[in-house]
Amino acid sequence: MDNVSAPSTLLEAENVSKRFGGVHALKDVSLTLHPGEVLALAGDNGAGKSTLIKIISGVHHADGGSLRYEGKEIKFDNPHQARDCGIETIYQDLALADNLDVGANVFLGREPVRRIFGLPVVDRRLMREEAEKTLRALDIHIHRLSIPIRSLSGGQRQSVAIGRAIHWKARVLIMDEPTAALGVPEQRKVMELITNLKGSGVGIIFISHNLIDIFQVSDRIMVLRRGSKVGEVRTSETNPDEIVRLMVGG
Amino acid sequence: MKRWISAFAALAAFGLVVPSLIDVASAADKKYTIALIPGLTTDAFYITMHKGAEAAAKALGVNLVFQGAADFNPVTQVPVLNAIIGRKPDAILIAPTDKVQLVESLKKAVDAGIPVLTVDTFIGDGHYQTGNGDADFPLSYIASDNILGGEIAARALAKAIGDKGKVYVSNVNPGISTTDQREQGFKDEMKKHPNITVLETQFNADDANKAAAQFQSVYARNPDLTGVFGANLFSAMGAANGAKQGGVTGKVKVVAFDAPTSIVGEIKSGNVDIAIAQHPAEIGYFGVVAAYAHLTGQSIPTLIGTGFTVIDKANVDDPNVKRFIYSD
Amino acid sequence: MAITEAVPGVGKQIRWLDFLAAFRAWLFLGILLITFEIWAHAEYDSTFLLNPFNVKSIAVFTVTPLLLGLGQTFVIISGGIDLSVGFTMGLSAVVTAHVFNWGSQFGNPVLSLVLAVLAGLGIAVVPGVINGLLIADLRVPPFIGTLGMYGVARGVAFLLARGTTVPVQGGLLGAIGNGEIAGFPNLVLLTIAILLVMHYLLSQTRYGQHIYAIGGNVNAALRAGINVRNNTIALYILSSLTAGCAGILYTAKFSAGAAQAGEPVLLDSIAAVVIGGASLFGGSGTVIGTVIGALIIAVIQYGLVFVNVEPFWQFVAVGVVIIISVLVDQIQKQVGKDGGHG
Repeated sequence: MDNVSAPSTLLEAENVSKRFGGVHALKDVSLTLHPGEVLALAGDNGAGKSTLIKIISGVHHADGGSLRYEGKEIKFDNPHQARDCGIETIYQDLALADNLDVGANVFLGREPVRRIFGLPVVDRRLMREEAEKTLRALDIHIHRLSIPIRSLSGGQRQSVAIGRAIHWKARVLIMDEPTAALGVPEQRKVMELITNLKGSGVGIIFISHNLIDIFQVSDRIMVLRRGSKVGEVRTSETNPDEIVRLMVGG
Repeated sequence: MKRWISAFAALAAFGLVVPSLIDVASAADKKYTIALIPGLTTDAFYITMHKGAEAAAKALGVNLVFQGAADFNPVTQVPVLNAIIGRKPDAILIAPTDKVQLVESLKKAVDAGIPVLTVDTFIGDGHYQTGNGDADFPLSYIASDNILGGEIAARALAKAIGDKGKVYVSNVNPGISTTDQREQGFKDEMKKHPNITVLETQFNADDANKAAAQFQSVYARNPDLTGVFGANLFSAMGAANGAKQGGVTGKVKVVAFDAPTSIVGEIKSGNVDIAIAQHPAEIGYFGVVAAYAHLTGQSIPTLIGTGFTVIDKANVDDPNVKRFIYSD
Repeated sequence: MAITEAVPGVGKQIRWLDFLAAFRAWLFLGILLITFEIWAHAEYDSTFLLNPFNVKSIAVFTVTPLLLGLGQTFVIISGGIDLSVGFTMGLSAVVTAHVFNWGSQFGNPVLSLVLAVLAGLGIAVVPGVINGLLIADLRVPPFIGTLGMYGVARGVAFLLARGTTVPVQGGLLGAIGNGEIAGFPNLVLLTIAILLVMHYLLSQTRYGQHIYAIGGNVNAALRAGINVRNNTIALYILSSLTAGCAGILYTAKFSAGAAQAGEPVLLDSIAAVVIGGASLFGGSGTVIGTVIGALIIAVIQYGLVFVNVEPFWQFVAVGVVIIISVLVDQIQKQVGKDGGHG
């Protein structure tokens, strides 16, 4: 960023709370995210990590607190609004259609159309070319772009999901356990991809149990426990033991 | 054959008995309830049978109940039968959809004190009150003689094709007593015509399109095909259409069994040459009469045969013939 | 370091198998035709294929299961199934016949024809809408929802026909149903036109793309902003409409509308879709595949009569073809999975 002043805040959550019936899933949790920054969200099961990202991505409404996106207060009625703002979420199931190819998945729901003799025809060549461009820009190489993506590896499919988000100009990318289902070499590749994304000014929040990943790419780590924020530290100023202690409250 | 002649004689005798029965009825002043369970409710043949039964019921002062399943299948007929048994009618007239699978359920009717008569189709071997086998308990079998019907069809076809040539039977599915008997009668009669070759029977599952395609296939391989016998409506409709597609209407003679209203158009346009009409109204009528006779203490024949009418272009508009077209 | 694909050599072998598998339906059809040709020559010293009458008859025979199969293809790709098409066909057949007869009072056969066709199509929309609402809004599983419509359509069809076939007065409908243009039966020409439209719809439009997506991962489709609900309702209406077309063509062919016209054809239509390469779990299938599947079934049934095989073997043959198709499909998927990724 060539901005001389302090980096603008991309996303800000202030004292967000959420109840589900009698359960207090989130209690006064605050979060900030800057462009080009990677924030890791850590915590044991039931800590409230999923709830927080679901509020940010428009799936849930917060009961208390507020959200600001690029300085402006926002309230999402549904996930599509969040997506239109540039907040893209990649859940563990990746939301990819296994039977379609890379281009079709990247353009899912937004397929480009050209006209032949006045009849609308889906422009598959354009989809393939654009998808290829986006993936190359992220340094992802998938040779066979026209096969159904169920034939690709887990890491490649994760890349397609990320590529899709980037293609549609996501400013905030939220990922839920991006490496949970991958083998070690592929985990490293996905983490490299995330590092590449930082350079283009995208703000990234990712939930992970994998401390190696967290310490490899994140700038800050936020730890939740039982719905409350129990710690927020710069990655360079902490170590895995401290994070674990914060998570389990020892 | 002989038993059918005596059956016809019994029919004639009935003509004398019915009026006296009516006297008996009004004298006794008891209203009987007779249930008629067809093979299926959605068929012009059984609808016509119902009308005949209604006419008899009205004449005799009987309450007629008409209930059945929507398809010709023991799986759907048995529950209807059981429901009827629960209502305890005075007698049951039924067209059993399978000669074996209906035996047990009908026995239950008899055990509940309800006499059973079968119409159109039969259980066991159709020979009742013989003391043989365990499907002989029904009191009477009232139907067209489908074997005779097949023979009549064969004779009509033989005549139409000049008593020589190749023919085949377009049938529905094996195992239905009526169509099986028609085929059997047809083939038996054709044995007496040495110059006529009967090719392999084709089964079309009651799909007119399949019957048409089968006709075309048989014709393609046997360009000297001279005739086809459609053992039921859709078989005939399909075969006739196949002939039309092949451009051989009139050259290959089509004999159809059963005469719903659509057959009139087919005969007039020449697609079908001959239709063998059963008399389902008579079956219904005499079924009710037989049941009533039994209920009022009369003995009844174990076999009552109703006849056929051969319909072709020459007589299709004759009012005496027209009334045998199955109505809706 | 870039994310690349390992073991490139394996990719090439897999490509050959993919090719084979994609064209297996064509291959099968080809093998069938050659087999029957040889058989016909051996047994009867006559040709099977080179006889234009045979070709025409098979084409006409394919019309009904193909039309039912076209709509069914769309539905199956989306992960559903439509069991009501047989009786929707019968319903249309009966209504077409009634309206054509009713329209003859105006003295203009072309008017009667137009009214009859509109009525036949119009009535077909109704079961489609009901199916769509049941499945999309009330979340009834397609198997059960369409099974229910099967019963309702059947009852209504029989009621309207009052238990019999409805004969058609006047020859225009029959002339069209049995006529030819330049040696091509009208019914076949109409069916080709319909299948071209369906092919375009499925393979070239966004709607078609979305159907595949819904079949592949309905959650992905939802999250991508695809209106799954509306698309689903449209699907079942499409299926009913093709069934309606089949019913209208039936009445034209036989000059009579029969409520049970489509009953024996339902399973053949599903078989055609499966043999053509679709998976019953959804996500794959094509119009061309269904065409080949329907042709295969027609060729088998017609051919076995032609070479005079005992009728019961026809049932066995179609069943065997279905099983082989599904097996080959499974094998192809397995090989694709193991060898296709890095």
